[in-house]
Amino acid sequence: MIGLQFACEIEGRMNGHAKNMHLKKSMKSIATLLSFLLLMAVHSTRMVGASRNHPCRKTLQRTFKLAKVVQSEASELFIIYKASQGEGSEFLCTAPVNNIPDPNISGLEASERISSIYTHLQSFIPHLKRVYEQQTDLQLPTSPMLPKLLGVSANSRNLALSINDFYHRAFPNLPLPEPAGGPTTLPPPLNVFQQKVYGCMVLKTYKEFTSNVSKEFKSFRGKVCRRRMKTNALF
Amino acid sequence: MNFIMGDVSALPLCALLFLACGIHAYSNFQSHLLTLPQNPVIEIGTNFTATCLISNTVEVTADDLYWKLSNVTIPRDQYRKVNSTALSVTVPITKDISEEWLFCYCRKKSSYVVLNEGKFIHGISLRTGYRPEKPENLSCISFQKEDKSFPSLQCSWGTTRRQTPTVPVHFTLKVMQVLSNQTSSTTTKDHWAEVKLSPYPFHMELEVWVEAVNQLGAAESVHLRKEAQHFVKTNPPEVTVTSEKSFPTSLLLNWTPPVNQVCVKLTYQIRFCSPKSPGWSHVPLPDINDQTNFRLQGLRAYTPYTVQVRCRDVENLHGYWSDWSQNITTTTPEDKPSSTPDLWRTVVYNGTSERLVQIICKDPEFPNGRITRFDVKVEKQRDRAWNQSGGWKSVLVNRSEAEEGETSLTLLEQISLSNLESVKVSVVAVNSLGRSPEASLILPVKLPDHARVEELKVWPHEGQLVVEWKPLRNKLLSGYVVEWLSDGRLDWRRVSKTSNRTLTGRLDPFVCYTVSVYPVFSRAIGKPVQMLAYVEQGAPLRGPTLKLNGKPGHNEAELVWEEIPLRDRRGFITNYTVFYKLGEEIREVPVPANSTSLKLESLMGDSQYEAWVQASTAAGSTNGSHHSFITMKYAAGTIEAISLGAGLVILLVFLLGIYKREFLVKRLWPRVPDGRQSSIGTWSPDCSMKAEPPKESCVSGISVLVSMCESQSGFEEDKASLSLRKDKYTSEEHSSGIGGSSCMSSPRQSVSDSDEGADMADTTASTVQYSSVVASSAYKGQTPGSQPQHSVFSRSESTQPLLDSEETVDMFVQEASGRFERLAPQDITCSEVFGPPDGEQLDCCQEADELQADGRTAPSSYMPQLGGYKPQ
Repeated sequence: MIGLQFACEIEGRMNGHAKNMHLKKSMKSIATLLSFLLLMAVHSTRMVGASRNHPCRKTLQRTFKLAKVVQSEASELFIIYKASQGEGSEFLCTAPVNNIPDPNISGLEASERISSIYTHLQSFIPHLKRVYEQQTDLQLPTSPMLPKLLGVSANSRNLALSINDFYHRAFPNLPLPEPAGGPTTLPPPLNVFQQKVYGCMVLKTYKEFTSNVSKEFKSFRGKVCRRRMKTNALF
Repeated sequence: MNFIMGDVSALPLCALLFLACGIHAYSNFQSHLLTLPQNPVIEIGTNFTATCLISNTVEVTADDLYWKLSNVTIPRDQYRKVNSTALSVTVPITKDISEEWLFCYCRKKSSYVVLNEGKFIHGISLRTGYRPEKPENLSCISFQKEDKSFPSLQCSWGTTRRQTPTVPVHFTLKVMQVLSNQTSSTTTKDHWAEVKLSPYPFHMELEVWVEAVNQLGAAESVHLRKEAQHFVKTNPPEVTVTSEKSFPTSLLLNWTPPVNQVCVKLTYQIRFCSPKSPGWSHVPLPDINDQTNFRLQGLRAYTPYTVQVRCRDVENLHGYWSDWSQNITTTTPEDKPSSTPDLWRTVVYNGTSERLVQIICKDPEFPNGRITRFDVKVEKQRDRAWNQSGGWKSVLVNRSEAEEGETSLTLLEQISLSNLESVKVSVVAVNSLGRSPEASLILPVKLPDHARVEELKVWPHEGQLVVEWKPLRNKLLSGYVVEWLSDGRLDWRRVSKTSNRTLTGRLDPFVCYTVSVYPVFSRAIGKPVQMLAYVEQGAPLRGPTLKLNGKPGHNEAELVWEEIPLRDRRGFITNYTVFYKLGEEIREVPVPANSTSLKLESLMGDSQYEAWVQASTAAGSTNGSHHSFITMKYAAGTIEAISLGAGLVILLVFLLGIYKREFLVKRLWPRVPDGRQSSIGTWSPDCSMKAEPPKESCVSGISVLVSMCESQSGFEEDKASLSLRKDKYTSEEHSSGIGGSSCMSSPRQSVSDSDEGADMADTTASTVQYSSVVASSAYKGQTPGSQPQHSVFSRSESTQPLLDSEETVDMFVQEASGRFERLAPQDITCSEVFGPPDGEQLDCCQEADELQADGRTAPSSYMPQLGGYKPQ
C-alpha cells in the first residue's frame, strides 16, 4: 500500500514519457515484492506443518527406542531363563504350546501394522505375568530372572502405552482396536515341566515378537510422520 | 503382704472413682464464655479477629468483657461489640506469637461472677506461621548402582526456609509417568527426597514437581518434564588401553559402556597425561561421539600415558557426566631416538697452559627408548680442518630402571687441552632400535669475551628460577645455554637465540645455585655471566659459632665467628646480630653480613657475660651457640702500676734503711750496757768455765742454739713454738737487758733450793745482800771486753738475792750457746733447755711478760738498776 501510494504521488507529479517509464518500473518492483511475500507465506506454512508434526516424530522415535529396550531385555531374559531352568533347558523350547500369541505382525498399512503390534503386545502381557507367577514358585527368591521378568513386563506395558500414544498422534482419526476375542486366554494349571516349557515358549516367542516390533518401527521412521508433514505442506 | 495386695487391688477402683467424680464435675462445669475460633492457625502479617460469646447467664453483658493477649490487656479500641452477648477483638499478627494465649475475661461486677470466676474466663491458643513458598531450583538425578540398575530418582530443591515450628511445611516430591498417569511420591520436611522407580522407565516421559504444604496453604514448584534417561548419572566406563608395536606414537583405547546403549545413548570424553606433561590433555568431544574405542595419536614413544574416560547422555547437553574412570597407565612402544643428545662441557682452568675439559651430555629430548650407549668422536683442528684422531668411541650407559625416568648426565670424555688447541666433539645416542641424529660442540681456543649477555636477572617462581637477560645482537649467535650449578650438581637448558628468558625447572629449596648464561655462537661458546640465587630461602640451619679473640679485657671483649657453611646457610645472609647478656639484661648489636667480628666495649669489669650471634636471611634468623666469658677485674696496666708503686715504696724503704742505718739500728737494737765493764767484784767460780768468744752477740748466740736444737732433737712439731719462744727469749733478752740475766740466774732458784715453797714475792722483795754470779752469757749482746773471759765472780751491790745454784744454770746456758759439744755430759735436751713446762725459769719469764703486759716495760723496771751500776 505504501508503495502504491508512493507510485501515485510520482505519477501525479510527473508528466509525458518520462512519467510513464517511471510508472512501469514501479509496477515491476511491486510485483517482485508481492512474489517474495507469497513465497515467504508458503515457506512459513511448511514450517508450521513441520513444527506441528514434531511431536509425532518425537513419539515415534521414543517408541522405537523403547521397543529396542524391550527387545534387548527380552533377549537377555530368554538367556537367563534358559540358564535358570537347569539341565535339558535346550529341549524345553522345542515342544509346541497353544494359546501363545503369534510373534508376526500383520496388516498392510502402517496403521494396521501398528494396531497389530499393539494388540499382540497386549496379548503377551498376561502371559508374561503368568510366567512370573509360575517362576516365582520354581525359582529361589534371589534368582536374577525374577526381577528381570518383572522389568520386561513393566517395560512392555510402557511400550504399549507409547505405541498407543504414537498411534493417536500419527492417526488421530483412527481408533486403536483392542485385542479381538476379549481377554487373553491363559493355559490351565500345569505341572512343573509344563510350566517350564510354557515359560520358555512364551519368552522365546516374545523375543521374536519384540525383534519384529523393533524392525517394524525402524521401517516406520521417515514414513509415518513424514506423510502427514507432506499433507500439511500441500495444504 | 495381704494388706499390700489389698491396697494394690483397691488402687484401680479409687482411680475409677476419681475419674467418675471428675467427669461429673466437668459435666457440671459450664463456662459462660466461649471464644471463637478454636485452635486458630494465623498467618503472620495478617489481622486476627476473635469473638467472645456469653451464654447461659444474664449476670454480665458484652460491655463487661475485655481481652488479654497473654498477660497484656488489649486496648478497647480494638474491640467491636457484635451484640449484647458478643464482643470481638482484632489483633494484628506481626511476628511469631505461637504458644501465646488470647483470653476473654469478665469484670467482677457481682458476687456471682466473683464466686464463679472460672466460668467467666475463656482462652484460645494461637499458632502463627507463614504460607509455604514455591520450591525453587528443582533438580533431579538418578545414580547408577553397582549392579548397573537405576533404582530411584533423587530430587532436591531450595526454599527460603521461612517457617515456624508450630506451622511446619511439608514437601511432597511427585514423579508422574506421563503416559500412564502413574504417580509416585515421597513426603519430607527436608529439601531433598527420593522416589523409587523400578524398573527405571527409560524413554518414558516423567513429570516431576514438589508441593509445599502447611496449614496455611500450599505451593507447587515448576514441573520438570523429561524422558527418564535424561536424569541419569551413570557409572564410568570400563577402559582398556592397548599398546601396539607397529604404532610407537599411539595407544588404542576400548571401553565398555556402563549401561545398555538402547537405554541411554552415551557420549564420551577422554583425557590423558604423561609424567612430562603439565596436566591433562582432553580429546575434543566431536572426535569421539558415541564410539566405544579411540586411538590416541601423536604421542611420544616409550612414554607412559595415563588415560581416563567418562560418559553422559548424548542427547542431554546439560546431563550429568559420570565420574572419571580409574587410571589406566600404559607405555607406548619403543622407537629410535628422534632428537639429538644435549651436549655440554665443563672446563677447569688450572692456571697452566692447559685446561681440563669434561664432555657431558643429557639424553635426547625424545629418546624413544632406553639409551644403551653414546658414540663419541673428538676431532682436533689443524690448519683450519678437523682431523679425526681416534674415530667413534662408545660410552656404555648402565642405568637402573629407577634412574631411567630422571634427567641424568653422562660423562662422555675427559680431555686435557692446551689453550692453543681447538676441539670439535660429536655424539650420537643409541637405543635398541637405532641411532639419534648427531650433536656436536666446538671448544674454541679462547672464549670470545667481547660478547657477553648483560643485565642478567634471576628470581624464583613457583619452585623454579626465572632467568632473564638482555639479548645479544650478534649475527653469529645461535642460541644460549643457561646453566645452574649447586653442590657439584650441574644442569643446563638450551634456549633459542630469539628468547631472553627461561625457567630452570624444579629446583631444591634452600640451596644456593650458581646460574650462568652462555651465549653460543656458530663456532664457539661465549663467556658466561653468573649470579647466585635461591629458589626459596629459609632461616639458616645453624647459627655461627662464636669465640673470643684473645682474652677479654676489663670492659671490652672482641668476638669473632666463622661464616656459616654454604650448605647450612639456606639463604643470603642479610646481617648478623650479636647478643650479649649480663644477668637478665640482654643487649644486641647489628653487624653487616660481610663482618665476622665485633668488639664489645663499655662492658662491666669482673662480670660474666654470655654472648651469641644470630644470622639472618630474608626468611628468618637462627641463633648460634652461646659463649660465656668473664671480664677482668682490673684493666690492663693497673696491676703493673700497683706493682711498680709497691716496688718503688719498697725501694724507698730500703734506701731509707741504708741511709738511716745507724738510726734504725739504734732504734731497733738499743745499746745495752756491758756488765763486764761495770764495777762489780769478781770471784772465781766453782766450776770450770770456758771463756765466751768476745765477738758473739746475744741474738746470734740464741739463733745458733735454736738451729742446733732443731737439727738434733728433730721435734718438728715444736718448731713453731720454738720459734716463738726463740723470739720471745730474744725479745726478753733484748728488752730485759740485765733483767734477762736476773731471770737466768733466777734468785728464785736459789730460793727454791734453799727454801722450796716459799713465796717468790717474798724472795724478790727481800732486801738482803746477795751475791750474783755474773757470767759473760748473762750479758749477751753486750760488746765483750778485749781481755779473755775469766771466771770472775763479782759481788754486786744489788739488793737482788743471789743463790748458789744459780751460777751453775747460768754457766750451762752460756756453754750451750757457745759450744753445743759440751752438752752431752749434762744429758740435757733442747726441750729441757728451752721448754721445761714447769721450769722456774719460764715462770720467771712469764712473770716478766706479765709485767710487760701490765704496761710496765722491763727496761724501765731495770732502769734504776742501770743507773745503779753506773757508779760501779
